[in-house]
Amino acid sequence: MADSVVYQKKIKRKKSLYSRIKESRKCQNILTVVLPILFGLLIFVLWQTKVLHAMMHTDTFTLPVPTRIAKLFGENMSDVLANMRSTVLVAFIGLIAGSIIGYLVAVIASIFPNMGKGGLNIIGAFASIPVIALAPVMNNWTRNISPDANTRSTVAKILVVMLIAAADMCLNAYRGLTELKPYSEDLMKTYAASGFTIFVKLRLPNSVPYIFTALKVSVPASIMTAIVSEYFAEYIIGVGREIRENIVLSQYSIAWVYISAACIIGIVSYIILMIIQSVALKRYH
Amino acid sequence: MEMQKNTQEEIVIRHLGVTFKDNAGNDVSAVENVSLNINKGEFISLLGPSGCGKTTLLRCVADLQEPTDGEVRIEGMTPKEVRLQHKFGFVFQQPVLFDWRTVRKNVELPLEMMYQSKKQRYEQADKMLEMVGLKDFANHYPRQLSGGMQQRVNIARALGIRPDILLMDEPFSALDEFTKEKLHLDLLRIWRETNKTVLFVTHNIQEAVFLSDRVCVLSPHPGRLSAIIDIDLERPRTLQMKETAHFNELVSEVRNSFEGGSV
Repeated sequence: MADSVVYQKKIKRKKSLYSRIKESRKCQNILTVVLPILFGLLIFVLWQTKVLHAMMHTDTFTLPVPTRIAKLFGENMSDVLANMRSTVLVAFIGLIAGSIIGYLVAVIASIFPNMGKGGLNIIGAFASIPVIALAPVMNNWTRNISPDANTRSTVAKILVVMLIAAADMCLNAYRGLTELKPYSEDLMKTYAASGFTIFVKLRLPNSVPYIFTALKVSVPASIMTAIVSEYFAEYIIGVGREIRENIVLSQYSIAWVYISAACIIGIVSYIILMIIQSVALKRYH
Repeated sequence: MEMQKNTQEEIVIRHLGVTFKDNAGNDVSAVENVSLNINKGEFISLLGPSGCGKTTLLRCVADLQEPTDGEVRIEGMTPKEVRLQHKFGFVFQQPVLFDWRTVRKNVELPLEMMYQSKKQRYEQADKMLEMVGLKDFANHYPRQLSGGMQQRVNIARALGIRPDILLMDEPFSALDEFTKEKLHLDLLRIWRETNKTVLFVTHNIQEAVFLSDRVCVLSPHPGRLSAIIDIDLERPRTLQMKETAHFNELVSEVRNSFEGGSV
């Protein structure tokens, strides 16, 4: 009798082991960190041992091993940092300014919904203009704004990033400002709330998660846009420009240093965004 | 019987009609020629199948909808004047709680708009949450509550502004039978304690009979008032009353009063 109880218990444990791991939050949290790291390590090992080179039929001249890239990164640290600074500055200023403008346009569109909907289609069209087409146009427009080539180029690059970020923010924020829970506007009306009160107490907080939906796209997009628009800039500076220049000069190992710099900018900025989001949206989830 | 103490008319609805335009541009009559007088402190149900205009009627009283014919007067004032004085508590079909506010902050929301001080709001929210039995959940977010609890917060919020008139639009239709019965008793207790006028929209005959002093039966296409039935069950009502023959007689009477027979 006692044996059979023990036996049954054992069976129960065995059965639920897999599902317990599957359902356990702790395990999942660990796995979400461990699995990508393991994958990264695998790639690193394949790369370092040149298995990757064999697989892709390439050589260490065009694809240097990671330790060499890291070594060069260290040796050229001051140059790399100066270029990273330029790219980050363009991406950040463009992102912030563009997002604010985009949000304000969304607010205006939500105040005049009849015109707003049509206006948003135009902005949607703007968003689909490729960066490669925009960048030279902006360069041309900003030709005369400053005697300093660096300033001219920086403004041109920021304008391109702004446009991309603004379009993305505008479309998302408009949804956040107008897609309200059913009856919530009626509810505010029964409290004799003015349009302004409805905006502050209902539309504005309702749009906060949508702001982050927009940023999740526009943070990486603005870095990418900054990098691409550097290709067309008059003044030679920035991570993207260095990648191009070094590839043109067949200095692939230096190009790879800047590629990894671009990756670092992208990853770090996304992590910062995730941290801000987890704080800002605490009460929404 | 205590209702006879105050038979003063509070809400007067005269020849009310609402016509919508449908997608093809044709006029569709949602409510036609409804006249109804509601006394102060009375519990009135508007009962009917979907499409009979009962919600439209309620929205006209709350000034969320402009009538195309007739008028609504509340103690001589227009619904808009009354709305601007914060005298309506409206309970919608859905809880309509704001996700980013705690339960307490949700209850405080209308009080913020009435420019009450922080302390006043806090105390009032406490009182209301205690009344609906959710004091321990004041600092929870709406998503952490069950549907029935959310609907109780909704009621607490509507009552928090101390409205003279409570307008309820199928507030319990999405809830299970057990929660519904509990909330019926809660609502009747709160109504007794605060002595408000309640206008209650429902499509559930038992619910209407159990709660109301009078049941207004509306028939669809177009929505019109086809009968008003007095419910002479004793107050306070208890769940046992639902088992009595008299309750069932009243339910049958209501059911048979729909135009074109039972629905």
